[in-house]
Amino acid sequence: MSDNDGFQIMETASIPNDAVMINGLPDVGLVGLLAASHIVSSLKLREVGSIESDMLPPMIVLHGGLPKSPVRLFAGDSLIVLLSETAIPLPLLRPLASGLVEWTQKKKIQLMMSLGGMAVANRQDIDSPKVFAALSEKKLEEKLNGSAEILDEGYIVGAYGLLLRRCAQASIPGIALLTQSYYNYPDPVAAAAALTSVNKILQLKIDVGELLKRGEEIRLRSKDIMHRTQEEMSRMNKAHEYDLPPLYG
Amino acid sequence: MSSESSKDRAEPRHSDHSPIHGSGWNAASASIEPLYNLFVAASELVLTVDLPYVNEKKVKLHCPSKEAIEISAVTTRKITFHELGAKHRHGEFTSYHARIRIPVQIDSKKIKSKFKHGVLEIHVPRTK
Repeated sequence: MSDNDGFQIMETASIPNDAVMINGLPDVGLVGLLAASHIVSSLKLREVGSIESDMLPPMIVLHGGLPKSPVRLFAGDSLIVLLSETAIPLPLLRPLASGLVEWTQKKKIQLMMSLGGMAVANRQDIDSPKVFAALSEKKLEEKLNGSAEILDEGYIVGAYGLLLRRCAQASIPGIALLTQSYYNYPDPVAAAAALTSVNKILQLKIDVGELLKRGEEIRLRSKDIMHRTQEEMSRMNKAHEYDLPPLYG
Repeated sequence: MSSESSKDRAEPRHSDHSPIHGSGWNAASASIEPLYNLFVAASELVLTVDLPYVNEKKVKLHCPSKEAIEISAVTTRKITFHELGAKHRHGEFTSYHARIRIPVQIDSKKIKSKFKHGVLEIHVPRTK
């Protein structure tokens, strides 16, 4: 168990060292959560731990009839996925970012990739959402393998911005992959685009067809978590990140 | 998609909701409240609504007053509580419904809308 300010990382099974870590936290368009869930199910990753905190909502999720933390770790031989089924509350963001990076140092994580959305006002008119990458260090550009455009300027509000900064400070290679998406509607098409980039970067072959085929079902089922996530994004002024309102004007 | 005048419609049973977004359902009317996003620009109001499992022709727009837009849409198939993530409840939904209070006055006669990829987008000028 790793104990940090206000939260603990509980390891319930063996977690590999020297792995790549992918973060799928709920934010814009639920891109990260949808993509990370798809990775877990496609690669049949096993549940290996959870994040426990008094700052999380007082809730559990039931899976297979068993009570689970909504924020859990999954792993395969060389891949770890952090997935949250609840919006991360604002007070937990800083301790979570610091604690996670500290934990990844212990685990000798080779690369931390955070999957998220980038709200665009004309999302309806975009058939193939673009993927952008913010990097903790310049030399990571080679790793992108042409799968994403570099984000040189701008703001990243929330967990992923803090994680990227902490990665840079701790010299852990970190990439935030941000895909054009709806702001507050679950966006499986954007999640599929993000996964296509992940496939190129990590040389995986995750089939994104199912995400696209079940798009309407996913949008409907994710409606409530999107709603709760939007409330949390409003608290952290997430919309200001992309200067959303003027895009409509 | 059809647009109706405000005269012939009874006030819906739904209460007004936040102008920012909506969520939830109404089991009595078998309707789901869709996610929506409202933006007030200098000269117009832009409203988008996420409507999975909806055909464009089944979307109805209605302005019950100068401060509200009402949207309803029959779904292409029945939707169960199970699909909304509530496995412990039984029931089916056959439509979406939202009555969205807007913070400025609008010219409802000039309402324009488009429907693409299951998302409705409405533009309506503000009255001066």
